[in-house]
Amino acid sequence: MIEGVRQTGPLEWEVPVGFVPGMRVPGRFFLSESLGKILEEGAIQQLANVATLPGIIKNSLAMPDIHWGYGFPIGGVAAFSLDDGVISPGGVGFDINCGVRLLTTPLAHKDVAGRRDLIDQLFRAVPTGVGAKSPLKGSPRSLDGMMIKGARWAVEAGYGVERDLVRCEEKGFMKEADTRAVSEKAKQRGVPQGGTLGSGNHFLEIQVVSEIYDPAVAKAFGISAGQVCCMIHCGSRGLGHQTCTDHLKVLESATKRYNISLPDRQLACAPIASPEGKAYFGAMAAAANYAWANRQIITHTTRQILAKMFRIEYEDMDLVYDVAHNVAKIEEHTVDGKKMQVCVHRKGATRAFGPGTPDLPDDLAAIGQPVIIPGSMGTSSFVLRGTDTAMERTFGSTCHGAGRVMSRTQAKKRMSGKEVAEILLKKGIIVKAPNENAIADEAPEVYKPSEEVVNVVHDVGISRLVARLSPIGVIKG
Amino acid sequence: MSYEEISHTADVKIRARAKTLESLFSDAFEALMQVVYGKNRSGKQQTVIKVDARDSESLLADFLSEVLFVSEVEGLVFSRADITITGPALTAILYGEPFDPARHSEGTEVKGISYSGLSIREDTNGYILEILFDV
Repeated sequence: MIEGVRQTGPLEWEVPVGFVPGMRVPGRFFLSESLGKILEEGAIQQLANVATLPGIIKNSLAMPDIHWGYGFPIGGVAAFSLDDGVISPGGVGFDINCGVRLLTTPLAHKDVAGRRDLIDQLFRAVPTGVGAKSPLKGSPRSLDGMMIKGARWAVEAGYGVERDLVRCEEKGFMKEADTRAVSEKAKQRGVPQGGTLGSGNHFLEIQVVSEIYDPAVAKAFGISAGQVCCMIHCGSRGLGHQTCTDHLKVLESATKRYNISLPDRQLACAPIASPEGKAYFGAMAAAANYAWANRQIITHTTRQILAKMFRIEYEDMDLVYDVAHNVAKIEEHTVDGKKMQVCVHRKGATRAFGPGTPDLPDDLAAIGQPVIIPGSMGTSSFVLRGTDTAMERTFGSTCHGAGRVMSRTQAKKRMSGKEVAEILLKKGIIVKAPNENAIADEAPEVYKPSEEVVNVVHDVGISRLVARLSPIGVIKG
Repeated sequence: MSYEEISHTADVKIRARAKTLESLFSDAFEALMQVVYGKNRSGKQQTVIKVDARDSESLLADFLSEVLFVSEVEGLVFSRADITITGPALTAILYGEPFDPARHSEGTEVKGISYSGLSIREDTNGYILEILFDV
């Protein structure tokens, strides 16, 4: 383990105050011994940097998929006091409300196995990769709808059913959205991209439920063994990227004005209640809403194709849940025995609210929030549930995915995209991407094993395993 | 023109070395376009970008962010930049062509230019840049 870091439990580590100058609270992260071997010092440095920010509460936290990012580490979580705390785009990232959702179908593995035509059709229908434009006729008016009402705008426009909304974190929109704080540049980028997947690690995957760990909870989530599901992973596209870029610049000046000293310029921030902090939060919420609408539109396209191809009902493809994993939100948490509103930043981390918390659908109130954890291309994804332990220890947060261990340059040197696709095909996984590099970049071996990551959060208790899903068809962004 | 990609697990990290600041910025621009669109780029369509900032790092981040914006909204893929830097201000004439999925789909989107790990240092041989693109 990295020098200066202390083990405080079987899967728990502390970065003491003093690891970097100016830390206000200790850092804390959850990791197994084997995942510890691939931990980067840069990630721990970033975890410690976050602990220097004003108004941080209890700890700067990181989940077991922690890796080196910019600003916060990826896998980072931190809550800030609304009185003297800050908000930072470095704790959210450029891809605001990058997130993931899981859709069930009434189909079984045998119905879709080897169906390359399904993957081809989805690939044609969902614009993917660099330069992809929306199939919709976007307009400034529809854009405003997306930014203000999020997934609800999409459902009202015919891209889904009412039930989808209660199965989204925040019911698919943040009420704090302020479109006036979103620049014209960001809006220009947003109009033509509604319903596009993007590139990088974004994907649309056809999966099969391969293992059930908790039958009662799986049943409540609508998941059963052997069932075909669809997972969608994407974010707020150019609108979100531009919003982060624009506000980062504003907040950089604000940081100086408010006399906040920072160890990393990417942590530029402002008091939550300041004009600059409010503007960023309002714009970020609008971009988050755009992302929810975006995932809802892609869901609609996917349902239409599956319904037509397999003669199943559109309404028989229920949304299990939709989670954001790059976002800042005002939430109620218990701090030192007192309930209070705090601003929780999750940068590559997933909300994992336990039973009885607000915002859960009525039928899941006693169970906890469904947590969707995507695996890397060709490896398992997982469904978990949120827990009381997460509420107590991590501001209701858990991991978000597998986390890379190999750079893209190394990945491409290791194996070509064609070779990776052939190996996956032998395992019964059909992969389609705009180019070979996209496949090589995201080969299964470049990520931490997703199973090890979810085992840590399960064992620590900040979420509990419900089901495993194995991919059979992948559309890479 | 010279730059190299340094191993970085999550994103793309670039190191460049140049005699002048203009040449250094040009290297960073080329690296960015290479990451997003790949190597098949040409064209003579001109676009002018102007930015100003309080220091070299901000100037570069603002310039590259503006390149990403213009490229996306205008649907243009750039192959060359003629850059002039005067004090805190930068003017760049970009040369390129309309985005063609058949030729420009080799790369990956860059979501943003990060300030983390962004440094421009000067030594007796010129300038050294390190910069991180979020992909």
